[in-house]
Amino acid sequence: MLRIERSQRSQRIRSVALAFSLMVCTAMHATAATYVVTVAGLGGEPDYDQRFTGNAKDLDKIFKDAGSSAHSYALYGDAATAESLKKTLATIAQQATATDDFVLILIGHGSFDGTEYKFNLVGPDLTAAEIAALCDRIPARRQLIVDTTSSSGGAAAAFERSGRAIIAATKSGTEKNATVFARYWVESLQDPAADVDKNGAVTAMEAFTYATKKTSAFYDSQKRLATEHAVFNDIGHGEPVREAGNGQGQLLSTLTLVRYGGTQSVANDPAKQVLIAKKEELEQRIDTLKYGKAAMDPSEYRQKLTAALLELARVQAELDK
Amino acid sequence: MMRMLAIAAVLTAAADAHAAVLAAGPAVCWQMQKHGQDKQATACFTQLAQSNDAYARAEGAWGLEDYTGANEQFRIATQPAASSALYKVRWGMLLHERFNDAEAADLFHEALVKDPNSAQSYIGLASVSAEEFSSKAEEYLAKAEELDPKLAQPHEMSAEIALVNDNRERAATEADKALALESDAMDAMAVRAALELLADKPADAWFAKISATNPHPGKAYMQLAHQLELHYRFTDAAEYYRKAAEAQPRLWAAHSAYGVELMRLGETETPARELELAYNNGYKSPATVNSLRLLDSLKTFDVTKTDNTLIKIDKKENDLLLPYMQAELNTIIATYSKKYGMTLPGPVQLEVYPNHEDFAVRTMGMPGLGALGVTFGEVVAMDSPSGRKPGDFNWGATLWHEMSHVFVITATNQRVPRWFTEGLAVHEEGQRSAEWEDRVTPDVLIAIREKKLLPLDKLDRGFVQQEYPNQVLVSYFQGGAICDYIAGKWGEGKLLDMVHSYATKKTTVEAIQANLGMSTEEFDKQFLAWIDTKYGAEAKHFEEWRTQLKALAAASQAKQYDEVIAKAADVIKLYPYTGEANAYEILATVQRMQNDTKGERESLTQYMHNGGSQPGLLKRLAELQEQAGDPAEAVATLTKVLYIYPVNDTELHQRLGRLLLAQKNYTGAIREYGAVVAMNPLDKAGAEFNLAEGYMAAGERDKAQEAVLLSLEAAPDYKPAQKLLLQLQAH
Repeated sequence: MLRIERSQRSQRIRSVALAFSLMVCTAMHATAATYVVTVAGLGGEPDYDQRFTGNAKDLDKIFKDAGSSAHSYALYGDAATAESLKKTLATIAQQATATDDFVLILIGHGSFDGTEYKFNLVGPDLTAAEIAALCDRIPARRQLIVDTTSSSGGAAAAFERSGRAIIAATKSGTEKNATVFARYWVESLQDPAADVDKNGAVTAMEAFTYATKKTSAFYDSQKRLATEHAVFNDIGHGEPVREAGNGQGQLLSTLTLVRYGGTQSVANDPAKQVLIAKKEELEQRIDTLKYGKAAMDPSEYRQKLTAALLELARVQAELDK
Repeated sequence: MMRMLAIAAVLTAAADAHAAVLAAGPAVCWQMQKHGQDKQATACFTQLAQSNDAYARAEGAWGLEDYTGANEQFRIATQPAASSALYKVRWGMLLHERFNDAEAADLFHEALVKDPNSAQSYIGLASVSAEEFSSKAEEYLAKAEELDPKLAQPHEMSAEIALVNDNRERAATEADKALALESDAMDAMAVRAALELLADKPADAWFAKISATNPHPGKAYMQLAHQLELHYRFTDAAEYYRKAAEAQPRLWAAHSAYGVELMRLGETETPARELELAYNNGYKSPATVNSLRLLDSLKTFDVTKTDNTLIKIDKKENDLLLPYMQAELNTIIATYSKKYGMTLPGPVQLEVYPNHEDFAVRTMGMPGLGALGVTFGEVVAMDSPSGRKPGDFNWGATLWHEMSHVFVITATNQRVPRWFTEGLAVHEEGQRSAEWEDRVTPDVLIAIREKKLLPLDKLDRGFVQQEYPNQVLVSYFQGGAICDYIAGKWGEGKLLDMVHSYATKKTTVEAIQANLGMSTEEFDKQFLAWIDTKYGAEAKHFEEWRTQLKALAAASQAKQYDEVIAKAADVIKLYPYTGEANAYEILATVQRMQNDTKGERESLTQYMHNGGSQPGLLKRLAELQEQAGDPAEAVATLTKVLYIYPVNDTELHQRLGRLLLAQKNYTGAIREYGAVVAMNPLDKAGAEFNLAEGYMAAGERDKAQEAVLLSLEAAPDYKPAQKLLLQLQAH
């Protein structure tokens, strides 16, 4: 089963201190809802229309299958107008609360004239600034805009805001060719291989990494020069980046987009709290070991890691009883 | 006073010499150089370089190896509208010598506008065309000869081209014509010497004449070496390139060619030294520069040695490709050693290039396709599957092809005609797998229809200078078909007998007579009749097939699916083509849309058996085979994909690993799961866990533990891996 909710246990990041802060953060949002709006803009040609609509429908299905905490809206075909998008975002602005999450996914063609990005819609287009203003009215403190269009890098600056992560399929507005990123973004939410830490959930960071790697492999296999280089920014200011680090990637790592199966029931069982605490202590020990791997003697590292992993496996087995 | 007089006398003498040089023209200086009178030539060119005349200065600078200065002076000399056409020709020859054939050709054409009867312009154009192995060269030379019958050079060049095409008779005739016109025609002498060496006869008499003309005949040795290398005599070629560099140490082209040749023979240290020497002395030909770059690239390759193999694969894909390539290479060596009844004298070196441009450096200056793989003695270089688009290239077939060359070239001591070694190599691909047979392509069908297949004793020429587009491809097919025909009618053993005949230096005419008991003319008759029986109908109906295929594609586009289903079989019957936009794919796509999985499976099976190689279609077939409850067939199909595109596709290896594990083929499963790990996948934990399961099933518990710990290192909470770890610890 797929669900959309914030991660209860985020993707682990090497820094132990960071892991603590994430746990606090995710605990706060355990029961919140997620609002997702997917828009497939104007294709211009039957092939593009078909592809964009197909991607939007797939995403809508993934999110609708995710359960009651997810509210998914998809606009495609003739419904993909500026007016419809404004109305949809206005509705969410009325329904969502500050503790909810909001995700906007733009699929299609974009354009950038050197100063202004526009998302191509049926009828009048919307600029990045207009889209950002519409999102600003939504009270959800944690937001994610995934712009998979051509020239989407040109929208990044206008989208940036504290608490809002943005993903763009292109590094700048000048990468103007049609993109394939959307296809792999959809695939990341369907392929369990995207869940690299095997915690049963795919975060926005994992989805970004998966889609980026697949996009790059696509151009490699076709022997074509890559005309898109996806970037993200989740600190609300500055240049978008291609990889996590220096503060970038924390918000994306806590935004869970899909979850495979139920994994949270034990968390509510008081009888297992000691084991959970032990598990978390072991996880931190493993993080610390991995963080210090380069500075350790390889055999010592291996010995300590093996011991910790084995103990963690035993604790997990106890928890699963 | 005496001193003043002496100076005056020297100045007068110098002025006289200067005037004499100018009066005689640059040809005198070049003649001195040709005869090895280096000091006199240098003095002569120096005089020219000080001339008031820009053209003379250009020739002087060129002779003194000041190429930039020469280029500038030629620019000045050719500026006046009334300047001689010869200036443009000579400027073009300078550019040709300095690796700029495009602008050289432009200058020759411009010279022809000035003087349509300029024989030298046609010689220039022939030089450029010959470099590209274009048949236009001979046309230009014929024109030059017609315009100036007293010139030896067109005959010298014709002789060289004829020998490249292995037309030895014509090569000898043309060389003799050149020598009759100019007794010091060194290139003609070199061709004559090459003819002797290629026939394994002593060439001492010609070497004596060459040395008498020029005691430092570096260029003549280079000519000779070039002919030897084009006739697979790589070791001999290297030796003559070495002699060229030794005879004329400042002949940087010789150092470069020697370096390139040694690289082809698998060496790296001496080539680096020779190439750097050439490069540092201004010889920056594409071959020099690219070979040096290639040597740098090779530093990032992993090298794996066994008793009889040495494999070089780029570090980034060595772990993935080595298991497949090593296993295949071992199989090939074992198979061919048995078949050819011989053991290779040394290890085979296999180089696998992920960057096609690096591979292309290996084939620079060589005729033919060289597009997929190339063999030099015991060195095989080929593209990595990652260097090609999926479906473009079957590395397995290429390796079997190239290794056939290794054995045949060794067995015949590098004395084998091009058509036979290529034909046998193509034949061997089909022996390894019927699906790897060389398919009759549209170009081949058209050649058959238009009766363009060459007589056997002239087939070598189809591999070098194309008389029509894609003739090289047609010649590969014809060579392979001839070997198929011989093997089919007389048995595989006859092919081996042919190898032995070539080893004893028999010609093709003699080899056919000795082994098949007929003349090549009779053989051609019988072979063409066989071709007609086999492909005549397809060739005859080629246009009809093309029209029907277009109609089928249009029907599919228009969603007239019943029409597609009704007509596809007829199109396939006319010509079972599996290239791009083929009828099998169109039909299978429609069947898929109509949920006719049985029909789709059958269409794709036919596609595969007829040589279809698109990984996407083959993987779909495997999926259908698995769904139909035939996992063994699915494994067989996916294994075929491994030979086409084993890179950038973790899903292929995962799927195959899963199927092999279910079939209890643990070795295969471990290989496939290991391939996933080698690709450094995003899902490292999942990949290591699968590998651990493979090892566990095979009873290799230590390796299973190693892999499962790596899985958990990547994802400590991965429950299946945790369970496996506990299971491993429990015993």
